[in-house]
Amino acid sequence: MTMAASETEGVRDKTPGFLERAMATLASSGGLRTFLLACAAIGLALAVTGLLILLAGKNPFYAYWALIKGAVGTTGRLAFALNKSTPYILAGVGVALCFRAKIINIGAEGQIAVGGIAATYVALNFLSLPPFLLITFALAAGAICGAAWSALAAIIRLKRGVHEVLCTLLLNFVGVLLVSEALHGDMGEPGAGFPQSPLFERAAWLPKLLPGTDLHIGILFAIVAVVAGHILLWRTTFGFRLRVLGASPQAANYVGLSTPRCVFGVMAIAGALAGFAGGIEVLGVHYRLIEGFSAGFGFNAVAVALIASVNPIAVLPAGLFFGFLEAGALAMQREVGVPSSLVFVIQGLTMVFVLCAIGIGARQQKV
Amino acid sequence: MDAAGLIDIFAATVRIATPLLFCALGGLISERAGTFAVGIEGMMLAGAFGGAIAVLTTASPSLGLLVAALSGATLAVVVAIATTKFRADQMVTGLAVNILALGLTSFLLRGLFGGRAPVIRLQTLGPWPVPFLSDIPVLGPVLFRQPALVYLALGLTIGVYVYLAKTRSGLMLRAVGENPDAAYAVGTNPVLVRMMAIIVGGAFAGLGGAVLSLQEVGTFTDGMTNGRGFIALAAIIVGRWTPFGALFGCLLFGAVAALELRVHGWGLPVSSYVIQMIPYIVALALLAGIGRSARMPAAIGTPFARH
Repeated sequence: MTMAASETEGVRDKTPGFLERAMATLASSGGLRTFLLACAAIGLALAVTGLLILLAGKNPFYAYWALIKGAVGTTGRLAFALNKSTPYILAGVGVALCFRAKIINIGAEGQIAVGGIAATYVALNFLSLPPFLLITFALAAGAICGAAWSALAAIIRLKRGVHEVLCTLLLNFVGVLLVSEALHGDMGEPGAGFPQSPLFERAAWLPKLLPGTDLHIGILFAIVAVVAGHILLWRTTFGFRLRVLGASPQAANYVGLSTPRCVFGVMAIAGALAGFAGGIEVLGVHYRLIEGFSAGFGFNAVAVALIASVNPIAVLPAGLFFGFLEAGALAMQREVGVPSSLVFVIQGLTMVFVLCAIGIGARQQKV
Repeated sequence: MDAAGLIDIFAATVRIATPLLFCALGGLISERAGTFAVGIEGMMLAGAFGGAIAVLTTASPSLGLLVAALSGATLAVVVAIATTKFRADQMVTGLAVNILALGLTSFLLRGLFGGRAPVIRLQTLGPWPVPFLSDIPVLGPVLFRQPALVYLALGLTIGVYVYLAKTRSGLMLRAVGENPDAAYAVGTNPVLVRMMAIIVGGAFAGLGGAVLSLQEVGTFTDGMTNGRGFIALAAIIVGRWTPFGALFGCLLFGAVAALELRVHGWGLPVSSYVIQMIPYIVALALLAGIGRSARMPAAIGTPFARH
């Protein structure tokens, strides 16, 4: 994680040797240290939450066993958990890239919402297209609108100097409300008791990956995004700029890297990924737009990126952890009677512990 | 619209602004000492929960307020330790605490009462007109025929102003927010000052939550603060990190919300969702308008480390 400001002196002035470079790659690209750190934080969070379960008069081991069974117990549940993880991973990669440049983009929620609206619009109105084109077009529309939504925040940040946390946060609320507005307006299903769009035609449904389960191809896109994010960050000039910008904006300015361009670019990429995730969610899970479908996704994406210590590769396990946690929590609530809101406690505590660990270790990290 | 209608809107504006004002003042103290107050949304929720549960079990509103403040402060302790002792990122710690508060309040609501959420219906704190002052035309009904916590919030605004501007301790707090190294050099402990500022800020935000559950709504529901803490954050920035500026910011958001409730009665062809967007868009527009001219405390976001 690179957000603590004390770390600005992280740019090394001497050329590191081969061994040092290898260690640095290990430590920074989803390496052992990061992994152990996240595991310790998760373990601590589970332990504290276990005490809460005890307090409620339930057996924590039984509750966690039910949680695990609920997430991976059957193929169907595994599929459900993977589907849940997909938007977290997609949006998480984008947030992680932003974090790497020390841009705290917490706008995934609004970007997912806007992406969902755009994908829905295409899915409902371009039915003459063949299925492959229809789905591609819908997902592309989601990504473009998500990118536009986050570009808006980037412009306000760059032109008016408003902190990106506030821009993206406020735009979240507007984006989520736009879904309600759309569903109570032209996109709503007439006569439905719930604010939702009409069901899409089959042609617009994302293809299934495993026959007989709900698992759709979204997880494949998520894996592609993770790999692409890794390559972008570690193998391209743009990624190098992001890392320099994150390590020291002064240094980035000094060596003539265009800071605004970087900020705009990485925000747009993050927005596109989030908007894409919104399209995946709408086309793959609900087959329609539903009010509040993106609620909480944005903050979870931030948490996922954070636990992954802002390494795109590590976003994959972190996103899976969050998705499985939520999928399992519903089963836990059913079987053991432990409220599923406990998941938020686990998530919040994990974040706090990871943040503390990162805060202490900030000085040891490399660009 | 007639005069009575206008007075009604102004009175509603002040009432709706009150929970925001508590939060904004709490966040202001934390931010002036150099710590982003993103977690006040969660602290507000904790306060709303603690206040509601305390009144449910003891039927004492003053105890409810005390527990609300303590709940907010307890959550703030987590932020204080994480950001000052462990130098965790302030923004993301705030977000984490918000998620934590959402989960904890929802879990405790069910977990502590045997798996079933208790039905909370509280007598809301009614208006408490100030003698004489409430008879002043216009100003009386707007300002002085309000529930008691409204007066407390206005009094706190003055109190925070005096504290920050006129006392030695307030000066030190601002110094820590501007330049902790300099404050340290003259014998102040920046870590301690920040911790106290965050915790007191949390108590204020908790009171803001109590205004919501005990005075406005009369119940507790999951996630009932619904972004008000973030609006308070925007009010701090709109008010340029000063207590009276924050008051202005909160009144502005209160006015938009008060109008939102009434626009439908007037038969305007605007959907309620569009009106609900207004506060956020106004906040964004104001922030963009103020932009660079708003100077936040210089050391905000930077953890203090002894060299």
